[in-house]
Amino acid sequence: MATLHMLSHSPFSDSRLVSCLRLLGPGDGLLLTGDATYALQPGSAQLQALGLMPDTIALFALEEDLQARAIAAPPRVQVVDYPAFVELCATFAKVNSWL
Amino acid sequence: MAKSLLIICRQAPWSGPGAREALDIALAGGAFDLPIAMLFLDDGVFQLQPGQHAAPVQQKDLTANLQALPLFGVDALYSSVRSLEERGLLHQALSPATETLNDAALTALLGQYDQVITL
Amino acid sequence: MKFAIALFSAPHAPSSRRALRFAEAVLAGGHEIVRVFFYQDGVYSAASTPVTPQDEWDTAAAWSALVRDHQLDGVVCIAAALRRGVLNDEEAQRYERDAASLAKPWELSGLGQLHEATQLADRLVCFGGP
Repeated sequence: MATLHMLSHSPFSDSRLVSCLRLLGPGDGLLLTGDATYALQPGSAQLQALGLMPDTIALFALEEDLQARAIAAPPRVQVVDYPAFVELCATFAKVNSWL
Repeated sequence: MAKSLLIICRQAPWSGPGAREALDIALAGGAFDLPIAMLFLDDGVFQLQPGQHAAPVQQKDLTANLQALPLFGVDALYSSVRSLEERGLLHQALSPATETLNDAALTALLGQYDQVITL
Repeated sequence: MKFAIALFSAPHAPSSRRALRFAEAVLAGGHEIVRVFFYQDGVYSAASTPVTPQDEWDTAAAWSALVRDHQLDGVVCIAAALRRGVLNDEEAQRYERDAASLAKPWELSGLGQLHEATQLADRLVCFGGP
């Protein structure tokens, strides 16, 4: 059963992204919200780590949080608004928020 | 059939009410006979260190509640080998006893449960 | 699809607003919210006492409006709420506190309500942290 993992902490000051990456299974998804979208900062080790994820892992980011932080989504990232966020939660079997 | 819930606890025991409140979710679910498991991950494995003392920091003893988990029907307890190893706890006797799982086994564990709460 | 939404953060945390926007989108998408459950610092998002400056967004007020307008089942964990000073009239009287501080549409109840919501829903979605 595929899991949508949701993160909101900055990966520059918090270990949740690292812990989450180790637990991802094939078909899982990763949704970056809030400060977790800083993981897409160009030239960062965090973005490099995301690039190393297998292609079977889908990567999403919440549109408003990218806009707020002036972060441009790399090609691999699917940008979602709230209606798409809701549908994502329905698509995956469960949602794991790293609180 | 009742939906199963995996509670992943990442909270160190003395960092505020977080660890206790995660445990309370498990105990409440166990009291309703729901299929609940707990996984101790990251700093959450510090909860398993024996010989801790709550009194010097004027807290209630979390250990008693942890020990009560099986009494409440929550006997599926797991911990991360990597989290234990990073913190020098891998070869220590821990309490309560947990099944230690490597990263691949943790991924598989997550796949087995209907819902998950990570605190 | 039936959603259970659990909030673990205070109203000033961006995740409280994110959860609110998510809940609105769930309803707008024709889905159902079986329960909104506030736990840990999420109980502050059900408090009536915070005063937000007029030119700032008031997440707690927006939560109350959402629960009221859509007649949602809005439940606040009683143990977490008492610990953080979010009391209804009954609890304020019981513990001899000067004022109740739980906003009107919310109910205090136990953690069993979170488990029940999880059982009733197709998806549990938790929000917390920053």
